[in-house]
Amino acid sequence: MPDRLGAPATGPADGSTSTGPGRVLVALYGTFALAAGARAAVQLATQFDEAPLAYLLSAFSAVVYLVATVGLARGGRSGRRTAVVACLVELVGVLVVGTLSLADRQAFPDATVWSGFGQGYGFIPLVLPLLGLLWLRHLRELDRDAESDRDAEPGPDGAAERERPS
Amino acid sequence: MIPALVVAATVAALVVAALGGLSTVLRRRTGLAHLVAAGVLQLVLLVQLAFVLVGLALGERPPETATFLAYLFSVVLVPVAGVLWSRSEPTRWAGTVLAVAGLVVAVMVWRLLQLWEATGA
Repeated sequence: MPDRLGAPATGPADGSTSTGPGRVLVALYGTFALAAGARAAVQLATQFDEAPLAYLLSAFSAVVYLVATVGLARGGRSGRRTAVVACLVELVGVLVVGTLSLADRQAFPDATVWSGFGQGYGFIPLVLPLLGLLWLRHLRELDRDAESDRDAEPGPDGAAERERPS
Repeated sequence: MIPALVVAATVAALVVAALGGLSTVLRRRTGLAHLVAAGVLQLVLLVQLAFVLVGLALGERPPETATFLAYLFSVVLVPVAGVLWSRSEPTRWAGTVLAVAGLVVAVMVWRLLQLWEATGA
């Protein structure tokens, strides 16, 4: 039984977010979209009056995670651009909310995903947008390399000419 | 909830995570070992679910019931989702996706126990 640990994997991914290491990011983002979303739904439904700001922030962070998940899962230029914006919003969110939650505890009587820089979630909310942005930058560099390769050797049917951005 | 089952689920989840990580390191997809480990994990989670449902039927109520139920039912879905996802992934990152699922379960069962044992203020 040589394949008990699985058949050999196919070669390195072609730099899309829909397969390869990008899948891990999608899985992480999906988990957080679900966790933050469920938490926000429960909080808003049962105890909105106690800490409206914190609970609305939970809901907002859930939406951002969802947008990032969809952007990463779809891939392609528009998907990636969406993911970059979502990751940036997330990074700003976790830094601002993290700082505010430590500076002004009155405003955050109950925790959000981003409170204390994501302390309640093993600081993953702080690391996740950085990982996302690094990965997206890596993909952009792969794209650029592929483009310059195409420029060096134009295809016989002129495909490279058509694909090259003006 | 039975703490021994939580420990068993944690061990099984960590085994799933370790096997997943190993596949990625060895540049392999997921295989039989992952299926068996995830199956064991799923079994433990389902037994746990059955005990909790009996407890709820007998009138036990954790203080944050809604949150508890959300965790209770979603934790059972995580290994299934992880396995399905990893089997559709042809690159070596299939194992890492499964490992993420394993770690998520390991965290969720402890949060579940915490919610169950919390006493209403």
